[in-house]
Amino acid sequence: MTNIEQKNAPSPSAMGAQPTARQMGVVQRFLLSNEFGLIVLIVLFTIVFASISPMFLSNFSLYAMGRTAAVNIMIGFSMMVVIITGGLNLGVGAIGVCGAMFSGWLMQAAGFHWVPACFGGLTLGAMLGTANGVMIVKSGLHSFIITLATMSVMFGAMIFITQAGSFREISPAFSALGRTKILNVLSPMLLTSVVIGILLWAAFKYTTIGREILAAGANPKAAELSGIRVDRMVTYAHALSGVLAVVAGLMLVSRTGAAIPSMAGQLGQDWLLPAFLGPVLGGNLLTGGRISVLGTFLGAFLVTMLTTGLLLMQVGAFWVQTYLGLLLLLAVLLDLARRSYLARNKLV
Amino acid sequence: MTGFTFQARGVTKTFPGVVALDQVNLSLMPGSVHALLGENGAGKSTLIKIMTGVHRHDAGTMDIDGAPFSPHSTREAIAAGVGVVHQERNLIPQFSIAENIFLETLSADPFKPIDYPKLYRDAQEWLDLLEIDADPSAKVEDLTVAKMQLVEIAKALALNSRILMLDEPTASLTQHETERLFGIVGRLRADGVSLVFVSHKLEEVQEICDQVTVLRDGRNACESQPLAGLGRQDIVRLMIGRTEQIPTWDQRDCRDRDVALELRQVTTNAGHQDVSLNLHQGEVLGLYGLVGSGRTELAKAIIGADKIISGAVLVDGSERSISSVAEALHENRIGYVSEDRKSEGLILMHSVLENAGITVWRRLQNAIWAFTDRAVEKTVSPVIKKLEVRTPSLQQTTGNLSGGNQQKISVAKWLAANVKILIVDEPTVGVDIKTKAYVHELIRELADAGTSVLLITSDMPEMVTVADRILVMDEFQIRGEVINDRDYDRVSHEIMKHIHGASEVAAE
Amino acid sequence: MMQSAMKTDWFGPFIVSVAAIIIVGLLKPSFLTPFNIQILLLAISVNALVAFAQMVIIGIGQMNLSVGAIGGLAAISFAGMMEVWGLPWPIASVLALMIGLLAGVLNGVLVALTGVSAFVITLATLSVFKGINLGITEAQPFYEIPETVKWIGNASVFGTVPLLFIPFAVTTVVLWYFLFRLPLGRTILAVGGNTHAAELSGISVPQAEIVAHAISGLLAALAGIMLVARLELGQPSIGDDWLILSFAAPVIGGAVLTGGRVSVAGTCFGVVIIAIITQVLVLFNIDPFLVQVVLGLLILWAVGVNRLREIRGQRQVAGGPA
Repeated sequence: MTNIEQKNAPSPSAMGAQPTARQMGVVQRFLLSNEFGLIVLIVLFTIVFASISPMFLSNFSLYAMGRTAAVNIMIGFSMMVVIITGGLNLGVGAIGVCGAMFSGWLMQAAGFHWVPACFGGLTLGAMLGTANGVMIVKSGLHSFIITLATMSVMFGAMIFITQAGSFREISPAFSALGRTKILNVLSPMLLTSVVIGILLWAAFKYTTIGREILAAGANPKAAELSGIRVDRMVTYAHALSGVLAVVAGLMLVSRTGAAIPSMAGQLGQDWLLPAFLGPVLGGNLLTGGRISVLGTFLGAFLVTMLTTGLLLMQVGAFWVQTYLGLLLLLAVLLDLARRSYLARNKLV
Repeated sequence: MTGFTFQARGVTKTFPGVVALDQVNLSLMPGSVHALLGENGAGKSTLIKIMTGVHRHDAGTMDIDGAPFSPHSTREAIAAGVGVVHQERNLIPQFSIAENIFLETLSADPFKPIDYPKLYRDAQEWLDLLEIDADPSAKVEDLTVAKMQLVEIAKALALNSRILMLDEPTASLTQHETERLFGIVGRLRADGVSLVFVSHKLEEVQEICDQVTVLRDGRNACESQPLAGLGRQDIVRLMIGRTEQIPTWDQRDCRDRDVALELRQVTTNAGHQDVSLNLHQGEVLGLYGLVGSGRTELAKAIIGADKIISGAVLVDGSERSISSVAEALHENRIGYVSEDRKSEGLILMHSVLENAGITVWRRLQNAIWAFTDRAVEKTVSPVIKKLEVRTPSLQQTTGNLSGGNQQKISVAKWLAANVKILIVDEPTVGVDIKTKAYVHELIRELADAGTSVLLITSDMPEMVTVADRILVMDEFQIRGEVINDRDYDRVSHEIMKHIHGASEVAAE
Repeated sequence: MMQSAMKTDWFGPFIVSVAAIIIVGLLKPSFLTPFNIQILLLAISVNALVAFAQMVIIGIGQMNLSVGAIGGLAAISFAGMMEVWGLPWPIASVLALMIGLLAGVLNGVLVALTGVSAFVITLATLSVFKGINLGITEAQPFYEIPETVKWIGNASVFGTVPLLFIPFAVTTVVLWYFLFRLPLGRTILAVGGNTHAAELSGISVPQAEIVAHAISGLLAALAGIMLVARLELGQPSIGDDWLILSFAAPVIGGAVLTGGRVSVAGTCFGVVIIAIITQVLVLFNIDPFLVQVVLGLLILWAVGVNRLREIRGQRQVAGGPA
């Protein structure tokens, strides 16, 4: 399944080009980066929305936006860590809901304190992710079809076990986390996603496993022949993806005060679009090998902001999905244009 | 300008950062076989791709029978009568032989229903002509590699091209099949077709070609000369710009030293049966063999990338079971420089530092599996300096460097890891002559410093220059051993004797 | 003859289908009542078109996440045009098919022009189409479906064969002819089998991509229209649950996701197997929630089997006599 990759990913010329790329300063490099583009867009839209509706910059609106953004960021991270291996995980939603439901069950039915209960959910997420990873590397099939199948199995099993019932007796301390306001505007959930983002950034920059996952994603054959256990790295990435998905699920549980099987839609498919929007807007190559934690963070934030803004402008909740789809198309096209500009001017 | 079927004048093609073709001329006569020769990267494939409409040339003119020819697409080239047997697999595996042979004609008329019985009958004629024993309705994926190659030739012939290009058509053919192909080439020549023949096997070139054009670094080293009168040495001189000068280094003999790596009757998944060899400390052991003889596969089995079914691998005299490259590197200090540096040797999208340092990350990590790039830089930069890698900085994207510099980096990562046994697979394919000489000296230097090197190459002068001892591999077997006394004629003769002796035995 | 049949892609699913029908029929005679057969055939007729819509794209080595969204959009357009504009059903259905075709062409053009993976493109268009659907309907169904359409959706010929079986049967034959007898269809599979080789043989890859996506859109729209007739309702949620099904059936039918290899008959039997399993769960009072689990396991099983066949095939060629 090579077609899942971007066919026009920058392929080095067959002849082995001379070192022609101009050396750029840090500032110039940053100005041409995806992250900078996202920051510009975020500032731009803030101005637009704020001028249309003063409500947009109210404490309440900012707080709500941060809380929603936190969930979208975690969903984006969950997909991002698999995208960098050159694969994808359709089961982000299914795993997230399964883990969150398990935590809910631990709190309500088993009477656990919320900390071990969350830990239980995260462990389940890691296990389900590992199962995905093992099946992918053992079968040699593309992650698309494996995660498509397992998302159906996992979600179906969860619905069967819970009989589509919710767990509403969530520990008050836990659901308080979803409603606490720091300095009136900041949600602890957004803080959590910032902390996790920093941890991910450090892990993929400074740790052996992080770097080996990136190498395995960029060129599995070369990585394998350089002494990297590629299969193991792909499995780690899927396990991590499972954990991050459950974090997103737990954030939703904390916010609504209940673990509801339908919180990510049928089969968890409602998370699919935000899961890809963040990383793709953030400039992560779908072919793998390159990571931008900041880009994913900003991408997911931009999406949340646009959604909030559009709803404030009373576009009609039903149309928002259309705009998000168009945004993804636009992001893809802009990225193509940016990259061909860079290539033409030999700035890469 | 009459009498030529095809003429190219001053054809130039530039890719970002590199001039692939510079003012190239080529003239093809009807009813002749024209050899197109050159080293890897000399521009042969680019010229073929321009003639078949895959690439567009930037400058220069081409004409067919005096009419301007400048194809925008493969379809246009086909319509103008240019056919090609491509080097890479060019068939649809899930389709029948017949459909593959006639794919160009079929797809030209998208709404005309395919008449399969007729298609099979027509295909049968081509199969008979090439003496291919196969059912035209059989799927290509079920054929052997040699038969696929023959089907590919049938596919090009079925276009009734007036200009037919054969790009390494004999690479996977047996002697018998090659002779059959040459018979057909002779018949096409008699029919007035202009053939272009690309091959690395100079014996074949001398057997069937009439004229020769040699490319070197994207320029004509010679243009449409009669082949008669040119000897093998003359052609080689045209191709590499000098005669096959072999620097005569002193002879080395390490056979009395300790054995660093020993294979005892190793049988592999890839097809080796009971292969045994000894690599001594500080020795450069050559493993000579043609493409497909099982050399690379043996190397991959040694480093744990491929499965060993039975037999023993001993490192420093003790038996090891190496099941992954990670074990080969971290526990046995064995490294492997791949022949295919673009897809197996390097991660082109990552920086020089990441590529050269990939093997030392685990060594440099602390208790929480973290390391800093500064520490990696400290380990790597002396090696990068020593190898004289020309890069603006260690942060440079590896894909932006020249082939020679890339090759140095794919060696550098093993030097940084300080391996004791280094397997080097075709280290000088596609690098310029200067880097090539440098790589040879480097191998020698490493060996002098105590590293044991297993050198895999099909480049005879390279083998005679660098190796201390040479093993000859053919059909996944070691056929013989030659002690290298730097006497090129004697050594090369003996190596070829081991290979041909083997195939004569196999033919009986 | 028997041996050559056994080597085809559809033989395995065919045997499983027959065995399943016999076993379930023996265990539960009510399974083979005319009424039940009619329900089964109805489900098969619609689901097969959904599966075909995906199968064509699998054939070219890509994937189309927007099959369900296109089906849903065509369905509500069909119902909406009849209710709001009062168009007669033949015109409305043709227009709805055109919408599906256009949506598919849009997918194809975007994939061919940008070179971005079909996955991302169709994920984006999925939400565009679904958003338009919800924006128009505000998640409320169109109820006013003409009597003729309702009749078509529930009438049957020859006793137990539903009328909707006819468009399915015609589509199957036409699609088979297109993919396996017409050069245009062959180019789609050629591109899926080896894009580079197809290109060098003078085949226009963008053209093949656009045609494949256009057909996919058309088939999805047809499935959506047929569902409106069957449900007697223009449900906005039509297509929401097609994703898994659309991949499961072709894959069970032997399709390889890297492209070039699909089987029309195999896909049909894949749909039959899925329909039987769904029915069995109902007949034996097994929790319907388990359908998703079973579908997922079926996909895993099928891709596993296909993969084994592929590996065994390669070994045979490599080890076979020269």
